[in-house]
Amino acid sequence: MRIGRDVEILDGLPVLYIKSLSAIVCTDLHLGYEGVAAGRGAFLPKANLRKAKETVAKAVGMRHPDRIIVDGDIKNEFSQVHAEEFNETREFVTFLRSELKLGSITLIKGNHDNFIDRLRVPFGIELHAQEALLNGYLFFHGEALPSSSEARMLIMGHVHPSIALYGRLGTREKLRCFLRGRMHDGREILVLPAMNYFAEGFSVNMERDIGRLAPVFREMLDIDSMEALCIGEGETLSFGTVGQLRGLEL
Amino acid sequence: MRCDDVIRYLEKPFTAEESLDCLNLFLRKWFEKRYKAPTPPQLYSFKLITEGKNVLITAPTGSGKTFSAFMSILSDLMNLSLANRLEDKVYCIYVSPLRALNNDIYRNLNVPLDQLFSDITIQIKRITVGIRTGDTTQAERQRMLKHPPHILVTTPESLAILLNSERFAEHLKGVKYVVIDELHELANNKRGVHLSLSIERLAGLIGHDFVRVGMGATLSPLDEAARYLVGYEGENERDCVIVDATWEKRLDFTALSPVRDIVNSSEKAIDDSIYSIIDAIVKKNRTTLVFTNTRSGTERVVYNLIKRFKYGEESIAAHHGSLSREARLGVEDLLKKGKLKVAVSSTSLELGIDIGTIDNVVQIGSPKSVARAVQRIGRSGHSFNDVARGEVIVTSRDDLVECSVMLDAAKRRHLDTFTTPKNALDVLAQHIVGMSQNGKWTLDKAYALVRNSYAYHTLPRKDFLSLIEYLSGAYVGLESRRVYAKIRYDEKEQAFSRRGKLTKLIYFMNIGTIPDEVAIDVVTPDNKWQGSIQEEFLSRLKPGDVFVLGGKPYRFDSSRLMKAFVTPAPGQVPTIPPWYSEQLPLTYELALEIGRFRERMAAAIGTPAKKSRNGIAALRRSGLKPNAEARKLLDAMPIDENAKVAIFNYFTEQLLYAGCVPNDRLMLIERTIDKEGERNLLIFHSLYGRRVNDALSRLFAIRLSELLNADVAVNITDNGFVLITELQARPGAKAISALVDGVGKGEMRRILTRDIRKTEMMRRRFRYNAARSFMILRNYMGRKISVRKQQVNSQLVLKAAEEINPDFPIIKETYREILDDVMDMPRAERVAMALASGEIAHKVIETSVPSPFSHLLITFGESDVIMMKDRRRHIRELQRQVLAKLGGRAR
Repeated sequence: MRIGRDVEILDGLPVLYIKSLSAIVCTDLHLGYEGVAAGRGAFLPKANLRKAKETVAKAVGMRHPDRIIVDGDIKNEFSQVHAEEFNETREFVTFLRSELKLGSITLIKGNHDNFIDRLRVPFGIELHAQEALLNGYLFFHGEALPSSSEARMLIMGHVHPSIALYGRLGTREKLRCFLRGRMHDGREILVLPAMNYFAEGFSVNMERDIGRLAPVFREMLDIDSMEALCIGEGETLSFGTVGQLRGLEL
Repeated sequence: MRCDDVIRYLEKPFTAEESLDCLNLFLRKWFEKRYKAPTPPQLYSFKLITEGKNVLITAPTGSGKTFSAFMSILSDLMNLSLANRLEDKVYCIYVSPLRALNNDIYRNLNVPLDQLFSDITIQIKRITVGIRTGDTTQAERQRMLKHPPHILVTTPESLAILLNSERFAEHLKGVKYVVIDELHELANNKRGVHLSLSIERLAGLIGHDFVRVGMGATLSPLDEAARYLVGYEGENERDCVIVDATWEKRLDFTALSPVRDIVNSSEKAIDDSIYSIIDAIVKKNRTTLVFTNTRSGTERVVYNLIKRFKYGEESIAAHHGSLSREARLGVEDLLKKGKLKVAVSSTSLELGIDIGTIDNVVQIGSPKSVARAVQRIGRSGHSFNDVARGEVIVTSRDDLVECSVMLDAAKRRHLDTFTTPKNALDVLAQHIVGMSQNGKWTLDKAYALVRNSYAYHTLPRKDFLSLIEYLSGAYVGLESRRVYAKIRYDEKEQAFSRRGKLTKLIYFMNIGTIPDEVAIDVVTPDNKWQGSIQEEFLSRLKPGDVFVLGGKPYRFDSSRLMKAFVTPAPGQVPTIPPWYSEQLPLTYELALEIGRFRERMAAAIGTPAKKSRNGIAALRRSGLKPNAEARKLLDAMPIDENAKVAIFNYFTEQLLYAGCVPNDRLMLIERTIDKEGERNLLIFHSLYGRRVNDALSRLFAIRLSELLNADVAVNITDNGFVLITELQARPGAKAISALVDGVGKGEMRRILTRDIRKTEMMRRRFRYNAARSFMILRNYMGRKISVRKQQVNSQLVLKAAEEINPDFPIIKETYREILDDVMDMPRAERVAMALASGEIAHKVIETSVPSPFSHLLITFGESDVIMMKDRRRHIRELQRQVLAKLGGRAR
């Protein structure tokens, strides 16, 4: 699905492609998630890393980019350095470099991304602490407000958007989605769904106070005006705006 | 009766002299001083157990069941004591599923021991009894370690723990007897499966076998129960003698219809009559025990009896699982002392807890199984020689037919059957971890031991190996096994052993099979807490249902994790009765009995005289008198006159309206629309019990969803099910005939498995199984993990396990549990095939208003939705619907 001339949502994937940057963009991988869960007594089989590799490989196969931009939270744990997390992150980055031959890896630091510095030098990762302005696109994670005003389009992660739909027969369906809209100042913004395999997502059409999670919705943007572009099977479908999907019963 | 070499029924008791001769002289003297003669079960058991036979005893309460098991054991211990050979070790382990029962047994053994040893003047070692449950204090455990009791009274969970407490296990080396009580509460569920493995592990641990004694009230088939009790020695079944004294106590019971016309009487009139009947029975007797089917029902009866008839607070009490332990013990004590006039209970008093003398039992509403009816009514009667008296008061017309047939079946001694869950992988996973803590096991040796349990004798080796793989952490990389693996597996030696200190702790903290249940918070959209409901209840609610909570009606909107979102619905009529969640399922056998009765009754009525709407109106006004044939059939049943007339009228109405009465060999399919005119209803009068209907209805719904390319909602009850579709997806005559023909085709098990994946039931059951197999923990690092967290965790585990291997043992087990334990897939498959082949006939009719027999079917029930299978198409359809609602167009 095309978003303007330069940007495209790759059909059926939680991945964006930006032609002028020759880059694919994804967010919220939360690698190492299973190890952390196991430490809390839930022994999840490992699936996240494998799925992330699969998805990125698919995206690379579709558009052959030179670059990958991760818009925050490549790994999971906030507080401490987890050996497994470190290993998985390293394995992922190695995969991007040697298998997918991606020349440039850009990471925006999310709220979960301490210690990533240790990977920076050995893997030649371009690391941005808060946000990165690249070719008119502002990449920021979303737990804080974006500061740059020079961008024409903003791209964020962090909220793991999805929509929940309820049917009259008692069905419930949750679909991960991109959110597309305009800031109060008229600039375009895209919110990316999480790539993490376990993240069902956060039902944006059910939640009233999303500003709690990401201040951009409190101060710079009305979420109800945003269009939900849902990830289907091999395709991406528009479901109308978040506001329209509130309280909707099929 | 049947009789084979290994499991055999003993039909002729030994004489009193033969039986008493088995006993140690002091014990015999004590016995004869207090009892006139051995009771019927004792006339079998004294000699059998003395001879070292495995024995299964079934007998009603008050038949001296406890002593029938223990006398020979006490006698053996007395002989040892007199010979000065009674050592400080455990000789006998008694296991019951109830702590309360354990306390009773402890008392009931110590009282005679006190008397016995005060009668004996010579100085000999006293036989000791010890009790070990979750309630046992640390100090007592320490004391028991120093001075092990000769008879250890315990629960299945505590026994499992003892097998892994190295120091205490030493004391178990000399066990000669294992007694399992309330077998009917164990043999049919995972708790019992867990116990059966513990017992085989015990035999393996101490290196020799022991006498196995099982006791139960009403259960059938007895040979299945016997097999569960004794298991196998290698390839051979162990011997067992069955002593069936179930019917030694005479039962006298009647089904009562509170009013002549249950349908047209007001709820108040019915209630008034029900309570007057109860009051009259209570006034006539010294102590009456009333059974309701639910806890809330129990509270309602107590409340009404006090309000209506001024019962003193000290003369009436409720007893159910939600009450505190102290409160329950208090009630039991008052009953034993004969101080209560009436006690009201849900299920908690149906088990063998000692409650003294009950004169009469009243059951309100169908207890859903013949065995349970017999068990409950059997609680009354002073002694074994007395007649047990009971009345069953019905609450609806289906209930009436059901109870009448049930009591008739009880009269003919036709009991419904149980089955033991087979090859449950979650329970086995838990035991393999326990076994590894005992030492090193070669795969062959461990597999052989497991197969000695009846519940695992047919376990495929590859399933066993899949568990070893899972437990050794083969599903994660080497570096993660430190955290994931629960056992150490040595591929070269083909052997497993313990892994890490933490695992032992995890094992002790998470042992057992009873899942943590949770109260679901009920909140309004503004997140205000209104109260709580049971998880089970939530899983049966569908959006739009109205239910009562704390006396106020609420409309159910949606649920997320452990929260139910509702809107207050003042003045609206509840669509879900509050007791439904706890309702037990109608059994297959009883459903068939009802089917046969329906067939006979319809034939007896013949073609009703006034086959017109006017006829029905006449019926409504005055009711009809049964014709001679029908009268004859009804008079043979244990029911009152009101009930007879009500049944006759119910059947006549159905005949007049629909032209036929559905039965087990004739499935009536009714096509109609709901009363709002908004949805199509396809009503199946399917009389095979709820567990069959549960599976069958989903098979039908999946097929219909394919045929119509639409979502299908299902409503399931004991007497049938309803498939519901949106108005535009109307099932035509062609679709219905394709449906009936096609439902029995293909691999039904696989088809249903795929559908179950998305249900609430799968999510919940997987949580239970993941916890039992330690994939998610309920207690970890000294902390209790909330059920909410457990649910989140298990959903993630399911998602990932499915991704790496759809045949992951715990996933496989969850499907097995749902299809075979919760539902009855094998029988559902048979019914589906019989329908397609015409062996079971079907008739399709179109009604503008649903026929009388379907009224309860469409009102109450548990529901589910079968969604379109093609995911891509499904999401597109969702988009189409959304945009249509929004007035836009699909892009």
